[in-house]
Amino acid sequence: MPLVKVPRPSWGEKLRRFFLADMLKGMWLTLKFNLGALTDKDSVRGFGIYTEQYPSVRPQVAPRWHGAPRLNMDPETYESLCIACNLCALACPEDCIDVIPMDIEVTVAGKPRKKKVLDEFIFDTSRCMFCALCQEACPTACLELTQEFELATYSRAGFVWNREMLEQGRETRKFEA
Amino acid sequence: MSLFALFAPPNFLNGLLLKFFGQETLNYVVWPFIQIGAVITLVAVWALYASYLERKISAFMQARLGPMRVGKWGLLQPIADAVKLLTKEDIVPEKADPYIFRYAPYIAVAATFLTFAVIPFAPDWGVITDVNIGLLFVLSISSVGVLALILAGWSSNSKYALLGGLRSSAQMVSYEVSMGLSLIGALMFARTLSLSGIVDAQVADRPIPYILFQPLAFAVFLISGIAENNRAPFDLPEAESELVAGFHTEYSGMRLSLFFMAEYAAMVVVSAVAVTVFVGGWYFPGVFWLSRGSANLYVILSLFVFVVKMALLLYLYFWLRWTFPRYRYDQLMDLGWKWMIPASLLNVVWTALTVFLVQALDGWRGIKTIESLTRGLNMTATGKGVAVAMGWLGLLVAAVFLALLNHRSRDFNLKKQRREIRLVDVPKGTPAVATTAAAAVTATENA
Repeated sequence: MPLVKVPRPSWGEKLRRFFLADMLKGMWLTLKFNLGALTDKDSVRGFGIYTEQYPSVRPQVAPRWHGAPRLNMDPETYESLCIACNLCALACPEDCIDVIPMDIEVTVAGKPRKKKVLDEFIFDTSRCMFCALCQEACPTACLELTQEFELATYSRAGFVWNREMLEQGRETRKFEA
Repeated sequence: MSLFALFAPPNFLNGLLLKFFGQETLNYVVWPFIQIGAVITLVAVWALYASYLERKISAFMQARLGPMRVGKWGLLQPIADAVKLLTKEDIVPEKADPYIFRYAPYIAVAATFLTFAVIPFAPDWGVITDVNIGLLFVLSISSVGVLALILAGWSSNSKYALLGGLRSSAQMVSYEVSMGLSLIGALMFARTLSLSGIVDAQVADRPIPYILFQPLAFAVFLISGIAENNRAPFDLPEAESELVAGFHTEYSGMRLSLFFMAEYAAMVVVSAVAVTVFVGGWYFPGVFWLSRGSANLYVILSLFVFVVKMALLLYLYFWLRWTFPRYRYDQLMDLGWKWMIPASLLNVVWTALTVFLVQALDGWRGIKTIESLTRGLNMTATGKGVAVAMGWLGLLVAAVFLALLNHRSRDFNLKKQRREIRLVDVPKGTPAVATTAAAAVTATENA
């Protein structure tokens, strides 16, 4: 009186069991992967190695992927492109950008004038959701979200990027292969 | 097997050593010490690099790379590991039995390393010592290794370690039976317990490996050997998902690595015995011709053949480990007592029948099957044909025998349960439903 209805094995099934067909199938699969790892390095036929050596081999991120922020500079004069217009801070849905301007004295056509320039730029990456609306808002193509993805730090304070970090990039220890 | 002999012919070395020692001292003390040193060194290096191989092979089978950082292809990883393990603090748990806890790993290592004394790695100077009870020696000494696991499990004073130790004792004791019994068939053909003698019997006249006479015994021996070594899929004593690490849960540093060393050395022992008894030991056709009459070259080539044969079996260990999931404990005991032991017992009977048949056929209607009885059961081609046919027929017989034997073995445990299970009124022909008490009450209410 079986509690669960188990179909009686057919002769083919019995033969498969006798010759351990399923076990051999499993062993053939692992052997294929083992031989594939030795011959087929980049997993061309699907039986090679899938993993990559991360710090020395870096993955290609998708083109629309947003990562670490950067403040671009004029490539010739090395002056910040930022005009302290505050549009990025206004565009930011997370309110994670603080633009701190300062007034400097300049002479325009022989007359002394005041000009608003960037003093400090605070970008809190711990609150950022990488929507890149700030990048869209920037009129001078200064603020940009790059493809850099190594954002981990040892402390919460490390997530808050200042102007120097945004312009020079954060100091990271690079792996030497 | 002497490492130095790979670079200098032993005759030359012998002459050199004769200047320092007498002939007797040289033969009975110095040469054995050189051989022992070489074997221990090589096995220790193997134990180091087995961990590397294990990690690499498992990685490849899972489409990963494995250790790659230390040295080219991570080849120095085992050395980094060894340095780490050696410099670790030697922790003995507070409530543990300190003496037993400290000495259990040594027993494990000593038991496995002792067995290498009788294994014929190659002819002539490739044997450390040829004992005429070699096979018994291997079986008895390797079973001392169980003691180490039990002591380690008991002295750790930890529930995981104790359970692991208990499991290992039950497992190893039950699989030792089938392991020993499966070798008897080969002994009937070889008519000696000396391991060199078994190889000689296979090599004599028309060389034939005993795996052809004894396919069933070979399979049983391999499976029991894997179970005996506590390797996956029989790694119940150190089942990491249930017992953390089994008997070596509380061990760390050097003592832990000693256990690993013992495990990997035991793998070598089992595969060496399998090669010696079933696959023809150091013999391979054409090696004698290749050595061109140079005795030393013959020994070295034979050694190479032995190592290659052993390497294939050792690969099988890794292969099986990373392919199959672990057995449940009751399944393990099922396999041991209901399949392996009956199969090996049947093999003994079947081999006796084979030998009887071969002897009975000898001289019947001019058929000649037996050539001599000097180096094992030395058969003619006809006799060998009969033995091979009987051996492979034995596989089928064993399949039928085991199927009959275990026909309803699965039902035995359910007898008591079935009495308690009542059928709720279901029409005939539909499968019955197991009921709990609550469901039965609702069923009667509905009725």
